[in-house]
Amino acid sequence: MALFDGKFYDLYTHPAPGDRESVALMAAVAKKYGYSGIAVTNLTENDLDMADKSGNFSIFPAFEIPNKRAKLRDEIKKRKEDASILIVKGTDEYLTREAAETEGLDILLQPRKFNNVLAKIASDNSVTLGFNIGSIIHMRGEARVRELVLMKANLKHARKYDMRMILTGDPHSHYDLRSPREMAAISGLIGMTEKEAFDAMSTTPLGILKRKSPDYVQEGIEII
Amino acid sequence: MKTLPTLRDKKRYMAFEVMSEQVISRAELSHEIFASACSLFGDAGCSDINSNLLSYDGKYGIVRCTKGKNNEIRAALACITKVRGTRISILALGISGTIKGAMEKFIQQTLINKSEPDKEDKQ
Repeated sequence: MALFDGKFYDLYTHPAPGDRESVALMAAVAKKYGYSGIAVTNLTENDLDMADKSGNFSIFPAFEIPNKRAKLRDEIKKRKEDASILIVKGTDEYLTREAAETEGLDILLQPRKFNNVLAKIASDNSVTLGFNIGSIIHMRGEARVRELVLMKANLKHARKYDMRMILTGDPHSHYDLRSPREMAAISGLIGMTEKEAFDAMSTTPLGILKRKSPDYVQEGIEII
Repeated sequence: MKTLPTLRDKKRYMAFEVMSEQVISRAELSHEIFASACSLFGDAGCSDINSNLLSYDGKYGIVRCTKGKNNEIRAALACITKVRGTRISILALGISGTIKGAMEKFIQQTLINKSEPDKEDKQ
């Protein structure tokens, strides 16, 4: 399948913070599985140094904004210009609304109580909708059923309002990583097509990384 | 009595590689694949997939499924996280129409590439 020959990225991984071996091991396994790069939350300077030496595999910094209602907007505004990819987990309706309404956020992950109004606002603010495939992998029974229902509803909203989507395995160790084809197979369970899954692991993350690169000025503007 | 050749379902064979903390036995893995598929697709869905673990040597293995159910068996394998308290991750190497094809194309090829890492990098 030529579709799976591209560059793939997982933008939400958490190897043990500060543990160089854990980051290196996850990077090695991700490379073996066919990824071109991963974004690590709470990355330290040491880990970034190591990333430069690992050849054609890149490690990017990501920042998961703490789920504190009062500080969410300020935190996003403060870190808007940073090189880190900003991620908010939409654990409740209030947080989802705050995150969708604030410009500069990169990824809104697995929002709960997502609706058409929030989807439109998020789409206008170029917020990417994240699907946490890791929850399907790790949960069983009723919890997994609820998660699948939630993700199916989110997918409908994303399609209607042309939101960009990303898939993440939410891995905490190298045993939690799954290859892009497996991620696409699992995303098929919520009704995602192969093309959508490919875009969610390759095209959209590349767009986010391009936007976060130091050379980026603004959409449509390029330094020659 | 055997099923008539024309009435037999077409099958596919998926080669996979297991990465685990400790070596998992064949019976444990077979049971876990079945449990994972059943949990994900239910009894009726599982009967459509008709999965069966054919060979497994502690690292590489081949699992059978019905033709057209590649993604389902891939998802079922990907959803396996723990066997007997041991963390495990299964990587599907590829799918083939014959056991020989799956063995030669994916498992033997992976072993050759592993023994000659320099050659793989140059390519």
